[in-house]
Amino acid sequence: MSSQDLVTIKPENRPTDLLQEVENLKFQGYRFVQICCTRVPEGFELTYSFDKNYELKNLRFTLADGEGITSITSLYLPAFVCENEIHDLFGVPINHIAKGVDFGGKFFRLAEKTPWHDLPKGGAH
Amino acid sequence: MSELMNNLLFGIAYLILAPVVGGLLAGCDRIITARMQRRVGPPLLQPFYDVLKLTEKQEIAVNLIQDFYVGGFLLFVMISGIFFFTRGDILLVVFTLTLASVCLIVAAYSSNSPYSQIGAERELIQTMSYEPMLLMVAIGFYLATGTFSLSEIMHGHAAGIIFLPGVFLGLVYILGIKFRKSPFDLAMSHHAHQELIKGTVTEFSGKTLAMVEVAHWYENIFLLGFVYLFFVWSAGWSILLGLLACAVVFFFEILVDNCCSRIKWQALLKSTWLVSLVAGFINLLILMYMR
Amino acid sequence: MGKHTVVPFGPQHPVLPEPIHLDLELDDEKVVRAIPSIGYIHRGLEKLVEKREFKEYVFIAERICGICAFGHGWGYCKSVEGLMNIEIPLRAKYLRTIWHELSRIHSHLLWLGLMADGMGFESLFMHSWRLREKVLDIFEKTTGGRVIFSACKIGGVRRDIEDSELHGIAEILRGMRDEVREITDIFFKEPTSVSRLKDVGILSKEAAVATCAVGPMVRASGIPLDYRVADTSGVYRELNFTPVTTDTCDCYGRCWVRVQEIFASLDMICQAIEKIPAGDIAVPVKGNPNGEYFARLEQPRGEAFYYVKGNNTTHLTRFRVRTPTNMNLPAMVEALKGCDYADVPMIVLTIDPCISCTER
Repeated sequence: MSSQDLVTIKPENRPTDLLQEVENLKFQGYRFVQICCTRVPEGFELTYSFDKNYELKNLRFTLADGEGITSITSLYLPAFVCENEIHDLFGVPINHIAKGVDFGGKFFRLAEKTPWHDLPKGGAH
Repeated sequence: MSELMNNLLFGIAYLILAPVVGGLLAGCDRIITARMQRRVGPPLLQPFYDVLKLTEKQEIAVNLIQDFYVGGFLLFVMISGIFFFTRGDILLVVFTLTLASVCLIVAAYSSNSPYSQIGAERELIQTMSYEPMLLMVAIGFYLATGTFSLSEIMHGHAAGIIFLPGVFLGLVYILGIKFRKSPFDLAMSHHAHQELIKGTVTEFSGKTLAMVEVAHWYENIFLLGFVYLFFVWSAGWSILLGLLACAVVFFFEILVDNCCSRIKWQALLKSTWLVSLVAGFINLLILMYMR
Repeated sequence: MGKHTVVPFGPQHPVLPEPIHLDLELDDEKVVRAIPSIGYIHRGLEKLVEKREFKEYVFIAERICGICAFGHGWGYCKSVEGLMNIEIPLRAKYLRTIWHELSRIHSHLLWLGLMADGMGFESLFMHSWRLREKVLDIFEKTTGGRVIFSACKIGGVRRDIEDSELHGIAEILRGMRDEVREITDIFFKEPTSVSRLKDVGILSKEAAVATCAVGPMVRASGIPLDYRVADTSGVYRELNFTPVTTDTCDCYGRCWVRVQEIFASLDMICQAIEKIPAGDIAVPVKGNPNGEYFARLEQPRGEAFYYVKGNNTTHLTRFRVRTPTNMNLPAMVEALKGCDYADVPMIVLTIDPCISCTER
């Protein structure tokens, strides 16, 4: 099955570490796959996935509520789809999204803003 | 005197019967198309039901002036048909038809919708494409029979097709544009499955759209009349030959519609002018040389 | 200096199969820029995973999309099985591969029909879908459903296909080859269709890499990216499989790639039917998912990515799907720049948009 390679970025080293890692991956020829955002009690857990020769490499870090992160559209432009989605659904501030692909919250048309921002209530229903 | 009465009767018959026959032709068209696509198809009278349904619908118009222009379109199509069937002047018929399509184009421009604007531009390009050919039909008959008058053409000493095969082929080519069938249905297709939604007539609704449908039937009948013109002469039985030719050409248009996709306006302009030049113009040159 | 207009394209548009909204900035009839926006059918299915037990959720995962339904069901099951270290029986793997390849055939035939319709060739559209009915009839005979048929479950598949029926299916598919060839030849040989497809929606190899496109979109630009090469959850290793590529980089190339994939899938299913072993079709599932897992699958539209996270309860905490259309949207926006307005439906259709997948 695909590699479960996960590299965690420490809190004090963002955003420079994130951009550095992503730049390394781009230089090595990795393809951007996706960005996943999960609401956890500490805030938001972001996972960036890249692929080369069918092997996945994932970057992981946790943001506190309200903390922002720099966009990687400067390196991988197609990331704007995932980043706009995370911004619209979770309300995570993403800074410096490239010109022309920053939809300012209007990419995903929703009835209520940032519906997935809050912690899920309860477990089994 | 009886000639005049005859022509007048034909004119009135056209006014009353053309929408009926046109609607039935449209119904046949839909059934034949459906059978070619391995479907059953709607009932034969479906176009009539559709037009009646349209007249009952609420009309939502951005700019009410479009009703005036669409009315103009219907009026000029009827007038050119009347000129044709009362055996008037063929050149006048062609020009009145042009006036009708200009009315439709202005009607489409009058609403601000981007779809009808682009549809109107495409309609203009289409008009540019087929106008030369229609004029060549008129000029061809003049060169072959020495007159523009329809009554003399229809009682000529030989069928027009013998002298004007190239012109006839050119006419059949551009009929696809007038009938709004693939590959030439850029501006206004029978189906709304195109990027312009319904193109020129996107913003028409209710009675206005019903008027466009009925005008389309009038137009179809008298365009088939053009085809008929090539196959009649003074012999009485040539009427049957003319009707047969109309049926064959109509079926051919449906066949081509089901075998082609829609082409872009650049290809339309190029191919129509090429066909007009090669088939039509060379035919005219030969006729002029023979005189 | 041409006339500058902004044409709203979608979400309700007769030529579009999916509700995506594009604001097209036109200069006369040339598109200068396309600005997409989505969200018309967002159902929040990813959030629903918190409210449904992980064994039941497969039915919701399938309903992410009607066309790629089986693929999503398999992707979800695959990721949970990877998370819980469940090894499914070989017969189940074969059955899943057979159904998935049938899904691919039906999806590509559907797409061919839509492409013909977008070109204005309605009768070809009707004929393509008539062929597709044969595949849907197979689905109905084997699973009871035509579009969403809930064949996957965690641990295997829910239904078996008798061997006699499998041979019947192989016969039907062998008979389909000639009919498919007859219909698809029209796309490649009929002059008006070729003129609408050739040199339309060009996405060069560099642009394909830069926009990180997936699926036939990128395979038509010469890049052999197909996850089935590395997929071990299906039986692609035992079947002769090579990615189909071409390097025309235009709509014609993508059409060609999808048509070749139909033939390849027909072959693979017949091979699988010959090699399928007897055995169980499912294993029991004990315990709860704990931890996280990444899985991928090659759907008809491209590579789909699945991520699950569990915390040892009956409900997963996160399920994330990144669908191929999600990844192809930037490629589409790139290909739309500088095209004719008449080509817009071709280019939108060429990525095989599945917006219900994109928005979940």
